[in-house]
Amino acid sequence: MILHPGIIALLTGALIEVALLIYSSYIGLVIIMRWNANSSTEEQLSLERKTYLVSTIMSFVLAFSILSTLLFIYTVDGMHRLFTGAMCATGSLNANPVGWYALYMKISIFFLASIWIAVNYIDQRTEDSPLVKKKFILLLCITPFLFSDIYLQFRYFLGLKPNIITSCCGSLFSKEGGGMAGGLSGLPTHPMEYIFFSSIFIYVFIACVSLFSSKGFIKYLTGLMAIVLFIISLASIISFISLYFYEIPTHHCPFDILQGHYNYIGYPLYISLFGGTVFGILTGVGEGLKKSRLLTIQINNLQRKWTITSIALITIFALICIYPMIFSSFTLEGY
Amino acid sequence: MGKHIKILEFALSSLWRRKYKNLGIIMVFTLIVMTLSSILLLTYSFKREAFAILKGAPELIIQKIRAGRHDFIPLSYTKKIREVPGVGKVIPRLWGYYYDISTGGNYTVLGTFRGIKNSINVLKGKFIRHGESGVCVIGKGISQARFAEIGDRIPIKGADGKFHSFRIKGIFGADSNIITNDLIIINPEDFKSLFGIENNIFTDIVVQVYNPSEINNVAARIKALFPDTRPITKKEILRTYDTLFDWRSGLVLTMFAGALLAFVILAWDKATAMNAEEKKEIGILKAIGWETSDIMELKFWEGFVISSLSFLTGLIGGYIHIFFFGASIFSPALKGWSVIYPDFHLMPYINPYQIAVLLFLTVIPYMAATIVPSWKASITDPDVIMRG
Amino acid sequence: MNTIIKTENVTKVLNRGRPNEVRPVRDVSMEISKGETVVLKGPSGSGKTSLLSLVGCMNRPTSGKIIVKGKDVAKLPERFLNLIRRNTFGFIFQQLNLINGISVKENIMLPLYPTGSGFPELKKRAENIMDKLGITHRKHFPVQGLSGGEQQRVAIARALINNPDIILADEPTAHLDTKLSGDLINIMKLLKEEGKTIVIATHDPLIYERDFIDRMIEMRDGKII
Repeated sequence: MILHPGIIALLTGALIEVALLIYSSYIGLVIIMRWNANSSTEEQLSLERKTYLVSTIMSFVLAFSILSTLLFIYTVDGMHRLFTGAMCATGSLNANPVGWYALYMKISIFFLASIWIAVNYIDQRTEDSPLVKKKFILLLCITPFLFSDIYLQFRYFLGLKPNIITSCCGSLFSKEGGGMAGGLSGLPTHPMEYIFFSSIFIYVFIACVSLFSSKGFIKYLTGLMAIVLFIISLASIISFISLYFYEIPTHHCPFDILQGHYNYIGYPLYISLFGGTVFGILTGVGEGLKKSRLLTIQINNLQRKWTITSIALITIFALICIYPMIFSSFTLEGY
Repeated sequence: MGKHIKILEFALSSLWRRKYKNLGIIMVFTLIVMTLSSILLLTYSFKREAFAILKGAPELIIQKIRAGRHDFIPLSYTKKIREVPGVGKVIPRLWGYYYDISTGGNYTVLGTFRGIKNSINVLKGKFIRHGESGVCVIGKGISQARFAEIGDRIPIKGADGKFHSFRIKGIFGADSNIITNDLIIINPEDFKSLFGIENNIFTDIVVQVYNPSEINNVAARIKALFPDTRPITKKEILRTYDTLFDWRSGLVLTMFAGALLAFVILAWDKATAMNAEEKKEIGILKAIGWETSDIMELKFWEGFVISSLSFLTGLIGGYIHIFFFGASIFSPALKGWSVIYPDFHLMPYINPYQIAVLLFLTVIPYMAATIVPSWKASITDPDVIMRG
Repeated sequence: MNTIIKTENVTKVLNRGRPNEVRPVRDVSMEISKGETVVLKGPSGSGKTSLLSLVGCMNRPTSGKIIVKGKDVAKLPERFLNLIRRNTFGFIFQQLNLINGISVKENIMLPLYPTGSGFPELKKRAENIMDKLGITHRKHFPVQGLSGGEQQRVAIARALINNPDIILADEPTAHLDTKLSGDLINIMKLLKEEGKTIVIATHDPLIYERDFIDRMIEMRDGKII
């Protein structure tokens, strides 16, 4: 199952990415050991310059993680025909559950790379580069994720045996299906709707308060709530939001909304959700980095922008979710 | 915003000033994209054509197997199959192949007087009627290969060694003519006498099933009823085609891995080898106030322009190669199941997924190969031009 | 008089610890006031250019302090050095260092492209400077087609586009004939009248014997004597 054009593309890309990251990790190790901000030696200058290389590579990794997540979903979706009973990407992923882990890994890489880029941004704009060691330790933490990503992808694609009978959205996400995914769609819709909308409300409220408050804990809380909201939102998309887009009460699939058949509504939906979450997490992460006066000034400036962006994106996300509930004739009464 | 536009503008003028140097890499890049896109476009359009054929195909076909080989199926089977719960119509079919020595083509001969779904609307002339003998309907490929028009006669050599002649009543002219291209349709009675087939046996049996989710159950029941049959579901055929085409294009892509690697090395080399003029320019930019990240952005834009230009040209090139020149280079490797087909043209078709795959195989390796060289260029000391 | 540039025991070591170790600048301490025109004088290899590049934030010293407009720049990361350089200094190099193939106007505006400053404003500034230096009629010409004198003016215009407080000139007359050198000196005088601080590294008597020079600092073997 390896000689599929999409799989070749994904694995080629992943290999390139890992090669670049091994190189950056090596640079990172050297920097962690030898960095000395007070030195004016040529070695220090060359290390300083290497941070530019690493930050470029990380931007590449971030862009790549977004593209490869999409390509992964498309590829998996395009393969569903190979598996009896599979009707979309969900079915193909169930054919070898490792695929789900590969997907989680890609999402984690997206968040970690975004945080790294933000930390790097702050660091490069502060005169004494106070975050150098922290950011390279973070970099060394991201590398294993990339390795797992490529390993899981290999395992997933190698382990796919066309023709094995799998359950798909219809059966997997129906209440009879076991596992976490089945549990998610089995969540009662009405309470889930309440939980979803109240958590959006709570998040926006906390984020707004954090805009006007200088207290640290409320910013941490914003970051934490962003993660909670992200998980609740994904559960809600599976549980009831997607149903309004499909207008089928049994089709609990988080991927089909990316298709042209549903006007590509999945793209704005996920972009606003992921973007809103990233900026929300950054609000919390930034708070933890306020270790010196210069940093505090830098971060206060950015934090405000991040929080506002996050609120705006989450609001857009909520509006996209509400839209079909109000304007479509489809209702979930009784399901 | 203004900053990025100005740097892009400078990148464009900088590329233009070294157009001959850049032309080399653009040409190689274009060629690579063109090759890969040809492979992908070709397999995908084959896949699509195959699915177009199968769209009208029956959900379930029953073949008789004797000693592991496909055999004619007796009419008596149909009665019992009809009694299986959930089964709708049961239609026996007559079809076969005919190798035409004069044109060297392998034609599909179908014995029916019913129209073929999805194709009847593209028929020029008329379809054959029940009981009408000595007439046929042919595909465009055959009409072209034999220079035969409506009203002409086509001789077909029968099982008795004699030529039977059929008057052409209609010609299929579908755009997607892979379905009907090599088809000859004659009456079932003519079919039997032509190929010397006894009465009451057929090539295979088409079974209609009311509820699509019951197809597998019905197939299992029929298999239990007649252990010497092989039920084939449409899904199985689709799956086989899918795997086959993906595997084939994957195989050809892998064969091009070497070329891709060579290209990446070339890109790396081109990006590393800067002449004195270029080095001086970067030194000047650094000295007059451009920062390391600005130079990296400049280099990024240069790479971006080169890759988008090559990518678009290559993609369009591949498209033209496949859909206007009939994939002259690759089709023997990828078509496979019928190298002796009469000429045919594929339906132009391209989707975002193919473009994404291509991007991953060409632009991403290129960009990755140029990161380190661009960085090396960008860390030029700002005072290097003062040292003369 | 207020100090605009101050160095304290500035030393630059290259290739430290290797056989080819050199110290182009050794233990230099000096002060330059706002509006002053100073010549760094000395034979070639005496460290004038190196000192100029340290003061001009192109490079970091190995030890010592460099204070530009009240800020110690000796330990700043390159990104910040670059910001200070772009906002404070205008450079006139020994060679003209123009970019061939693009127009006069583009060459002049080039330094400010990465600042992302408003383009219309940038254009107006460039036009003002071209007017002042009398090259407006050439603004759309590619620089390589210009005469030596015109090219010289383009290079000066480029140094002035960011409205710098301090002009640093490195052997500006080394490749010029007497007439062009005279032109350059006239422009420098004009800049001095505008209140710019000017530091010229040269060993050309044509410059350092002129009366618009306020002070001379002599260098030898990387030291001030």
